[in-house]
Formats: sequence, structure tokens, C-alpha cells
Amino acid sequence: MTAPTILTRRTAIVAGAAAGLAMPFIARAQPAAIKLGLIHPVTGAVAAAGNRCRFAGQMAVTDINAAGGIKSMGGARIDPLLGDAQGRPEIAVSLVDQMAEAGALGFTGCFASAIGLAATQAAAKYNIPFCIDSGITDAMTTRGLKNVYRLFPNATSTTTDALAALDQINKKAGSPAKTAVIVHEDSEFGTSSAKLQAAALPGIGITVKELIPHATPTRDFTNIVLRIKQAAPDIVVITNYENEYVLLARTLVQQRVPLVATFSIAGGGFNLKFAKEAPTVVENMMDFNHWYNPKDPRALGFRKRIEDAGQVFTWEYLFGYFAVRLMADAWERAGSADKDKTIAALAESTFSDHWLPYGPTKFTNGQNSGCHAVALQFQNADMKVIWPDAFADAPAVYPRPKV
Amino acid sequence: MRLRLSALASVALASVALASVALTPFALSSQFLVNLATLTAFSAFIGQAWNISGGFGGLTSFGHAAYFGVGAYVAALITTRTGLSPWLAFPAAACLGAATGGVIGFASFRAGLRGSYFALVTLAFAEAFRVIANSAGFTSGGLGIHLPLRPGIAALQFQDRRLSYALVLALLGLATAIALQLRRGRFGARLIALRENEDAARALGIDVVRVKTTALALSGALTALGGVVYAQTYLYIDPGIAFGTERSVEMLLVCMIGGAGTVLGPILGAILLHAIADTARLWIDLPGVAPMLYGVVLLIAVWLLPGGVVALRTRLDRG
Repeated sequence: MTAPTILTRRTAIVAGAAAGLAMPFIARAQPAAIKLGLIHPVTGAVAAAGNRCRFAGQMAVTDINAAGGIKSMGGARIDPLLGDAQGRPEIAVSLVDQMAEAGALGFTGCFASAIGLAATQAAAKYNIPFCIDSGITDAMTTRGLKNVYRLFPNATSTTTDALAALDQINKKAGSPAKTAVIVHEDSEFGTSSAKLQAAALPGIGITVKELIPHATPTRDFTNIVLRIKQAAPDIVVITNYENEYVLLARTLVQQRVPLVATFSIAGGGFNLKFAKEAPTVVENMMDFNHWYNPKDPRALGFRKRIEDAGQVFTWEYLFGYFAVRLMADAWERAGSADKDKTIAALAESTFSDHWLPYGPTKFTNGQNSGCHAVALQFQNADMKVIWPDAFADAPAVYPRPKV
Repeated sequence: MRLRLSALASVALASVALASVALTPFALSSQFLVNLATLTAFSAFIGQAWNISGGFGGLTSFGHAAYFGVGAYVAALITTRTGLSPWLAFPAAACLGAATGGVIGFASFRAGLRGSYFALVTLAFAEAFRVIANSAGFTSGGLGIHLPLRPGIAALQFQDRRLSYALVLALLGLATAIALQLRRGRFGARLIALRENEDAARALGIDVVRVKTTALALSGALTALGGVVYAQTYLYIDPGIAFGTERSVEMLLVCMIGGAGTVLGPILGAILLHAIADTARLWIDLPGVAPMLYGVVLLIAVWLLPGGVVALRTRLDRG
């Protein structure tokens, strides 16, 4: 029988003193945390989406830190700095200054283009790398700023790919759609997309009967839907934010507008929350948007984690999450959080540890040239990828069955 | 005599205190703090611009964003479409801002609009400008205008935020000098007389339409200069940013909190509101706290200090 070990007062004092003396050396062995600024509009008109980007960004930070931090830097942890841009470019600039002075070595954000444009050029003054999580405008990466990188598609490629998808789906069904009305929100995001759509739709055999802009917020779509009804298009193409998307879709159903399809490009309200709340309204609505690769089991696990956290899964989670992962990947490749080295690592990045429907990253002037969005459709209140075939998990229901 | 000396001493003390506060950012190395000072001075400047017509003249406008937006678009168009120096945007914006104020003022005052009717008309004008900017080709519609990034004084883009601050401070100085002149000059006396009793002022021979229109034109010109600074600082404007009601409310709010119709009111209002908003943002990690505190401060100001912070001293003097 072994005698129990008794910790005497003397032993305790000696052990404590030894530990106290050793602590600075242990602490010194820990690499310094890397501060990462996450700037999003978590209050204001687009707060819901901004909050989702922030949530996923924090989740990515937690995952990276739990997996041992940045290994090439001795397991350096990421320390997130959170900022609410309130939907105002000047606040975003102020946050960049504040975080830069607090030691931020990277930024992700900012959901809306207008905020991102201001924040990225403020970060450029400090030469701090900036990974865009959302902000679709092409200008984000065409201003010659060396610090700005976007993993996700820009407005031009989203619209071009969307129209290619619509063209293929329409032709496969015998071209039932010949006319369209475009409804878009009237800021940078909606207008730039609508302009590109109006120019390109005739090229795939669809005549644009009318472009209808609306403000954000708009809470009554009755007049807009009456205009659509009068124009009697085959399809309605929608580009706007969440609340307006939902209200417009509801009003289209309430007013019984006969359509071959409703098709949106980056439709803000095309999400599972809407499907859960109004399954009959959303059924067979189509959207061209950002999504995960449904054939990658990690993607389904990621979605489940979001849902287990009490959230409804949307593409903003992918954006927020992978913008942080891209930045972390650059630090890992650079083996340093030095700003110049990180920017160089981003420029040469071949980031592929993701479950997005893309291959490895290939940046051209800060824009990932290999990224593509996918065509989605609500089927039985769930979201299915219907195009391209390589990532599709269901065939398209097109034209929409008459009720 | 003792009273006059005491008043003079108070003014001198206040001037020294304000000058010290205004000059402190030049000694700061923190770009963040300099930027906060710039945003505060900017709010004070556009508030002072509003104050010239809204405070001294009692022409409560809910649509000063119209002039701000005109200035912003003038700067954006000069920079992107003409290739001329962005500095030329200042005189051009001032002229167009004045013309816009003149037209809105003349149309409204000729029709005898005042009080809440005038306020609603100004709001409608700003909204009309937003809709036009949203649909017109020369403004690039809802796409907005991206100004090219060309850091340098010649391009009116400052790398060092202290230069931005100096510019905004100079504009605030100009607007405050005009406000001081209104307090002392003949035109200001007429404007204040109109605010207090328009019928009595008219009976005394004051040309009501002319004085009010001139005040609005002056206010419009100054506000448009604010639009130029905004566009050249953030290098992107769209109809919402330029003509959105948020900007009009900001101008109105700093005057309401600080004290409309006083020279120091907009400055004190801007300092107070920014101190609250930025302190809340820095120390309270809870989204939405800043707007909530704004609301609380406004309620307190309206309830306890209808004359604004400036009126606090008078109330304290009275006991």
C-alpha cells in the first residue's frame, strides 16, 4: 500500500516559488496573439446580415484557435477585435483607425460595399491586409489597393454566371421564359447588378420589359407588384436585401402574379428562414447565390453547427467564416503576421481548405478569379443546388408548376 | 461696468478653452483620435451651417441634406468627369449650394410657407434630390460615384488626418465667424427679428422673403462645402449617403442639443453627442448603444434644456 502524498506547507511554498520564477519564461514561449479586426454593420438597416458575418467570423477564430492557432508562428492565437460600422462609412473608417492603433494586423468585413470601400482604403493607409467577406462591387478590388483581397465573386462575375445558369436552365426546358421585369434595390449593390442584368438578358433571348428600383427599406410592395402584373413578364428578376425580398415575394403570391419563375441574383431574403416561415410562398423560387458545396460532407457539418447554435443557415455565414480562414491561411503561409509578408502570401494564395463550390484560390488584382456562385431552388422548403451539374444535389423544377 | 468686464472675461475664457480644445488634435499622434476630432468638428460645421438659417432665422429645415448632397456630387463630378482640380469643387459647390437654397427658399417663402409646412417642404426637396440622383445618368444613379484614390494635397486627399482636421476646422471657423457676424450685424438682426415675430418684422419694413431666402442660400452654400469634404474624404457617394435624411437629422440634432440660434450651440452639441457616441462605442460592447444614448440625450435636452446646453449657464445664473 502506497502512502498518500502529503503536500506540506514547505513543499507548497517551494513549488509556488519555482512556478513563479518559471512563469515569465513560459509566458515568453507563447507567441503573441494576432489581432484581427472584424468590421460589420451590426446595427442599422443591414444589421441582420452584418451580425451573421460577425458570428461566423468569430466562429472561424474559435476554430482556428482550438486547432492550435497559426502553427507556422508557433501556435499564435487570433485575437478578434469587433467593430460596429452602423452602416456608415465614416464610422467604419474610425474603426479602422481605432483597431490599427490597437495593433490589428488584418481586417475582415464589411458586408455592405459602401462601408467596405471606405474601410479598405483607410486600412490601405496602414498597409493592413483586408479580406472582404461581402461587398459585391467590382470597385472593391479595382482601385489599385494592394491590401484588399476578395475570396468571393464580384458583381460582374456573379451576374455573368447567373445569366449563364438561367440561359441553360431555360433552354433545357424549351425556353418558356421570353420576357422579364427586373426589380432591384436602388443602392450600389442592386443598381450595379440590375444594370448588368438589363444589358445581358436580351443576349440570352429574354426581353427586359421594365426595371423597377425601390428604396431600402420599403415596406409596401403592392404598387410595384401591380406594375409587374401590368407588364406581364414570364419571369421576375429580383436583386435586393432580406426584408424587401421577403415582402416582394409574399406580395407576388398574394397578388397571384402568373410567372414561369422568380429568379434572383444574390437575393437577400432567399434563405432557409424564409422557407421555414413561408414554405408555400418560397416553393420553387430560384436564386443565383453563394452557397456551400453540398457534396462535401464538411459543408453539411458546418451548416449543422450554425443551426445547432440556434441560427438559420445563410450564405453570409460562409462569407464571414472563410474571410477569416483566408486571412489565417495567409498568416500560416507567410509564417508571420508582418503586413507585407501577409499581403504577398495572399497574392500567391492557393487556399483550398474550404467547402465552397470553387477550387483553390487564384487572385488577380485581389479578386479570386476561380470563384463562382451557384443556382439554388427551394424544393420542399429546403435549399437545393440545381446548377452547375458538378455541384447540383437536385434537378431544377422549371417552369414552375401552375397552382 | 463690473458686469461688462465679467461678461468679457467669460467670453475670453470660453474662447481660450475652445481654442485649446480645437488645437489639441494637432499635438496628437493617434490617427484615431484625430479622426474623432475631425468627425466632431465636421458635425459642428454642418450644424453651424444649419444654425445660420434654422437657428438664427427659425427656418427649421429637415432637408439640409439637399445642399450637402449637391456639394458632394459637385466634388465627385468635378473629380471624375472634368479632370479639374478638386479644390475648385469648393467655390463651385458653394455657388450651387447657394443657388439651391435660394431656389428652395424663394419658392417656399413666396408661397408663405413657415413652421412645420416649411420643414416638410425641405424634407420633400431633399427626397426629390435623392430620387433624381438615383435615376439620373450623370450621377451614375444608385451605383454612386467612386472618386479615384490619389493621395496628395493637390487632389484634396490627405494621408495625414491632421490636415483633414485642419481643413474642417477652417470651415468651422468660417461658419462660426459668419454666425458671430449674424449676432452683431444688421442682417442678423433682421433675421432674428423675423424669427421672433415675422408679422412685426414685416410691419417694420423688413423684406421677409429676401432676408429668409438669403439666409437659406448662405446656409446652403456652407452645407454644400461639407458635402465636398465628405466626398473627398470617403471617396464614394451614392444618393442615400448624399441626400439621406440621416445627415439632415445630424445637423438638426447638434443644434437642438447645443442650442439653436447661438454661436456656441452647434459646437457644444457636436462635442457632447460625439463624446457620448464614441465613448459608448469604445467602452460598451453592445451594438446599438450609441443611437440609444443619442435618443436619451435628445429627450433630456428637450425636457430639461429646451434652449440647449448653452442655456444651462443662464439657468444656473438664475438659480
